[in-house]
Amino acid sequence: MKMDILSVKNLKKHFGGVKAVDGCSIAIETGTVVGLIGPNGAGKTTVFNLISGFERGVGEIVFKGIRTDNLSPFKIARCGMVRTFQIPRALTKMTVSENLMLAPKSQAGERIWDVWLRPKRVREQERQIREKSRDILEFFEISHLEDEYAGALSGGQKKLLEMARAMMIDPSMMLLDEPFAGVNPTLARKISRYICELCEGGMTFLVIEHDIPAITKISDRIVVMNEGKVMAEGEPEEIKRRRDVLNVYIGGEG
Amino acid sequence: MIEYVDTLLPYITTILLISSIYAIFSLGLNLEWGFTGLINFGHVAFLAIGAYTTVMFNMSGFPLFLSVIAGIVLSGFFGLLLGIPTLRLREDYLAIVTIGFSEVLRFILLNEQWLTRGPFGIHGFERPLQDVIPYQHYNTFLLIVYLVILAIIYLSLERLVRSPWGRVLKSIREDEAVPSALGKNVFWYRLQSLMIGSAIAGLAGAMLAFYIMYIEPNTFKPIETFHAWIIIILGGTASNKGTIVGALVFYTFLSVTQFTNRFLPFTAHQMGAFRMIVIGLLLMLLMMYKPEGIFGKKEELALSD
Repeated sequence: MKMDILSVKNLKKHFGGVKAVDGCSIAIETGTVVGLIGPNGAGKTTVFNLISGFERGVGEIVFKGIRTDNLSPFKIARCGMVRTFQIPRALTKMTVSENLMLAPKSQAGERIWDVWLRPKRVREQERQIREKSRDILEFFEISHLEDEYAGALSGGQKKLLEMARAMMIDPSMMLLDEPFAGVNPTLARKISRYICELCEGGMTFLVIEHDIPAITKISDRIVVMNEGKVMAEGEPEEIKRRRDVLNVYIGGEG
Repeated sequence: MIEYVDTLLPYITTILLISSIYAIFSLGLNLEWGFTGLINFGHVAFLAIGAYTTVMFNMSGFPLFLSVIAGIVLSGFFGLLLGIPTLRLREDYLAIVTIGFSEVLRFILLNEQWLTRGPFGIHGFERPLQDVIPYQHYNTFLLIVYLVILAIIYLSLERLVRSPWGRVLKSIREDEAVPSALGKNVFWYRLQSLMIGSAIAGLAGAMLAFYIMYIEPNTFKPIETFHAWIIIILGGTASNKGTIVGALVFYTFLSVTQFTNRFLPFTAHQMGAFRMIVIGLLLMLLMMYKPEGIFGKKEELALSD
């Protein structure tokens, strides 16, 4: 039996009177892809923000055996969880290459004294990081943009940049917020394939997506949220057949 | 002709001296604002801490070199103290707190006379190698030393901002959520930036004291902070080279216009105000036609998205 890499229990987050997340529980097995779907305002992005520490709520979040619900975002990231944002956050006044090279953990050159005391090690590490960034850029077919400022990229390219940057930290789990939005179909298929490959390599994904055919194709399990709660959970085929899920999406009364 | 050179050279020396001091002062702010995005409106406080600490340590018997070190360290330490409670605030609040801090400090310097001699200021303190260098050549000596210090600070900062450390600072300036999501301790980097920027200002404070030979609280009014801002914007935000050129242009302008009231129907006081009007106008024109400053990169313009 596989271990749960992430378990969320009875998570709640209220904004004034709005119950954005209202008692949400999700358990995710290591090395699986879980799709998180639901209509707008269902609380999916808030769940992401809570899991990644960008917002504080009530409830229990355990990631790789560590309680993370009280940790700040950077500590959660250091545990091996990385997220992307719904609206891509490219560092627009830095180049694509700088965006990627920023990401890797524990770089010697990030410590001010090592910049002076171990210049050789810093240079060597920079070389390795640059190589790695080139491989990842090549994969996402944006090598030609390496030296462009990220601000000059299109929306879809920024999306790719953000995923590429997240890959740079070798996470054990990735939270992707609408990875296919604004990406052309060929590339979307490629991203799907990449997610599946990484997943076989042991990485875990939680993916918010509105493109139902795409997400059901890559997911091992689907979680459906509505009004801050998990309304359905199961294998993609099973979820596709559920009338209540369809109704929520089409806008019916369930 | 010879006479002309005799008066012109010392004049150029003083302009270069004051420019190099304020260039270093502004380089500290450029690290904080240009590279990290911290809006520090109280930068002059650290100039004051550096100047007063150096002078007071020296007068109580410490060797001059150690006193300068103390000035630098204490400025950095106060940067840390100020940063711990404020760097979690939003940028505009940081601006308010820092300008408050610099004014509170100035009033402490004015009122704690037992320590600082208050409004009377301190003069007659030791200057580096004053017994060795003949008085008539002293400014030339100081200029050479200051240009060397400026070069060292410039090269060190260039190395830092081009390192992975500087890359993290820039990412914080752009959007702090990104480095957070990638596992960088944003608060700690901001704190380092503020400490280093403040320590650099402290060094400039010691240099200022040695040059003007007299320090009093009103040398450290908030306008000095804003001069540094003008210098950075003029030279190009996030450009160390631009900051140095900006300081030179700005102080040359301030200094040269001191004589123009001979040609204009203004009193000295009116001339002072008129200079600021001209500077304001020039800044507006700069913002309209070259918003990235003299050496700034348009793509890195920190003022808009």
